[in-house]
Amino acid sequence: MGWLYYVWLGILAVFQGPELLTVFGLPIPMTLAMVAAGFLLGIAVGSTPGLAGPMAMAIALPILISVFGFSPDALLPVFGFLIGIMKGATLGGAVPAILFNTPGTPDAYMTTLDGYPMTQNGQAKKALRVAHFSSASGDTFSDIVLIVCAPFLAVLVERYLDLPEKTALLILSLAFIASVIGGSVGKGLISLGLGLIAAYVGTGEDFYPRLSLGTETLAQGFPIAAVVLGVLIVGEVFKSLEDLWTEARYRRTPQETPQSGDQSLHWADMRRLFPYVARSAVIGTMIGALPGIGSTLAATLGYTTGRARHAKSGASPRFGKGAAEGIAATEAANSSVSGANLIPVLSLGIPGNAAAVFLILAADTIGGFNPGPSVFRFTADTVNPELVIAFGLFTCMMIANLLNWTIGGAFMRSMGFMSRIPKQLLLPVVLLLTLSSIYVQETRMEAIWFTVGFGVLGYIMRRLGISPLPFVIAFILGGKLEETGRQAFAATGGDAFFLLNSPVAALFVALSAIVILLSLRKPKEHRS
Amino acid sequence: MRFDRANLALGLGCVALALLVALIWIPMDSTTGLIEKVRRRMTIGDALAPTLAAGFLLLGGMLLALAERPKTVRRLSLKNLAFLLMLIVILAVAFTLMRWLGPVLAGTLTEGGYRPLRDTVPWKYLGFLVGGTAMVAGLTALAERRMTWRGVLIGLAAALALIAVYDLPFDDLLLPPNGDV
Repeated sequence: MGWLYYVWLGILAVFQGPELLTVFGLPIPMTLAMVAAGFLLGIAVGSTPGLAGPMAMAIALPILISVFGFSPDALLPVFGFLIGIMKGATLGGAVPAILFNTPGTPDAYMTTLDGYPMTQNGQAKKALRVAHFSSASGDTFSDIVLIVCAPFLAVLVERYLDLPEKTALLILSLAFIASVIGGSVGKGLISLGLGLIAAYVGTGEDFYPRLSLGTETLAQGFPIAAVVLGVLIVGEVFKSLEDLWTEARYRRTPQETPQSGDQSLHWADMRRLFPYVARSAVIGTMIGALPGIGSTLAATLGYTTGRARHAKSGASPRFGKGAAEGIAATEAANSSVSGANLIPVLSLGIPGNAAAVFLILAADTIGGFNPGPSVFRFTADTVNPELVIAFGLFTCMMIANLLNWTIGGAFMRSMGFMSRIPKQLLLPVVLLLTLSSIYVQETRMEAIWFTVGFGVLGYIMRRLGISPLPFVIAFILGGKLEETGRQAFAATGGDAFFLLNSPVAALFVALSAIVILLSLRKPKEHRS
Repeated sequence: MRFDRANLALGLGCVALALLVALIWIPMDSTTGLIEKVRRRMTIGDALAPTLAAGFLLLGGMLLALAERPKTVRRLSLKNLAFLLMLIVILAVAFTLMRWLGPVLAGTLTEGGYRPLRDTVPWKYLGFLVGGTAMVAGLTALAERRMTWRGVLIGLAAALALIAVYDLPFDDLLLPPNGDV
């Protein structure tokens, strides 16, 4: 069976999967409806300062699993919904950034620099149209790169990397993530080490669950949802609540500026913006393909590169004074990260950002799909169901892009009112939602306490400038790292130097050391 | 750029924690060592992976304490700790209400206690409704620095909405505390 056949099976899995309902005799596929619902929800969430895509994904996951169950049929509707949220939230983040000078998501900060001045000049709708055009372009480009590159990379990994090399690749990925996220390699390694230690509590091959202090509570290990949601979501909620407590930001009511003049985005505008969009899309895709480097850096680089070109051309208005090119450069860059971020997930099984973490969590909970190089086995005689799901996932992404190009703009422009929801009311509700969703999955109060405990850890890490993402990624990859290492050790006949005997593995280990040393030479500001 | 005492303290604290984990916790709380011989074959023991994890922690702590000179320094202030304490107190009160209100009331008012009633209205919602409302109202009051009826009503509405989302459509999903009793 060739790859084209698998592409076709993936499309069929989406369109001929379970039906939601029939309209005038026409069946509406469940996956299609879920992508649309997730996408619209994502725009609403992104438009709400204080909420973020990962929060919505975290809250939605247990509900989705309750609705769809644990069968392989559940995978595509659940993935479709989560991918919809991921894409919609990136787009929605621009809304409050442009209308109220408040970025809905951290990566939309650079959008405020030109978006809000355009609003003040009475061109808010035009600014939103620029953001939508650039975001949809960057996102689509990134998805095409993902669909082309991920299978090839996965096939290369499966063909040329054996167990020692795979172990070394995991070490390299973790070292890279620890070094590049945030501004301090030392803090990145601390986050990584803590995440690995947490992953090893209550696990192991012996009858006695290691590091469990002899207690039944720790013998089961930490529930993955409690750790991920605790550190990523609850920690962020605690920090934001404290910001409100100390700064009383909520007392500021966003002010609207009267709008006037031509609000349309003309063909000539698009042609003028295209070079900025194209350059930023390439930058964002390249950054997104590397695990751990987030969309905020992509937006910053895209904006900086666009500003240099704009200054050279001498066009006005300048960047920072309401230039549509500034919005285009930022939005294309941050949106093109989301698709490319799935390259390491699908080809290597390594999550690169918070959204990818939730996709892995969904796959892990439902079962039947293990993201990694083994997914892309193009079997000749029997159908590889994981590969069908992978191409189904790509189909979902393209459907989300289609929705983005068609209804995304209008829906996004109608979401301005979301910025008015007071954060001090929203955040406690998000916390209650998150903790309830944990209890629904685990059905024990201990899980809620674990979540709060990891939330406190996430809060402390944020206050100390330690990025929580290496912690979460290390927690997820910890078991895989140990298992691959054990297998490699056994396969090499108990060779203690198995990581150094193969040239490729030795190269990966050397690169791990180099990336840490290079990061150490240039301490930067923290970018959390 | 300069060394900062907060960074030095964090780095040294992590070094101490890593040594504690590697030299005391792991050896005392794992039944196999770093490398084991099982049926004349060498295998990796349960202690190796956590020891490597402690190694990452140690390396990170040492780099932070000795090598890095960050431009910005973050530290936990007393104000941070005070906020955290208030937050935990509010959550503890809310979780206590969530976990024990139903069982205590059922134990007082009925003969059979909470367990036979845990799938009946209003008992099965009592703890979640009161605890959830208290949590949202308490945290809103913390953020606003004053208790408001708006916070209470939002909390009540959120708890009711969650009951509608999780409990009404699904028989197999349990809200707190019904999985524990």
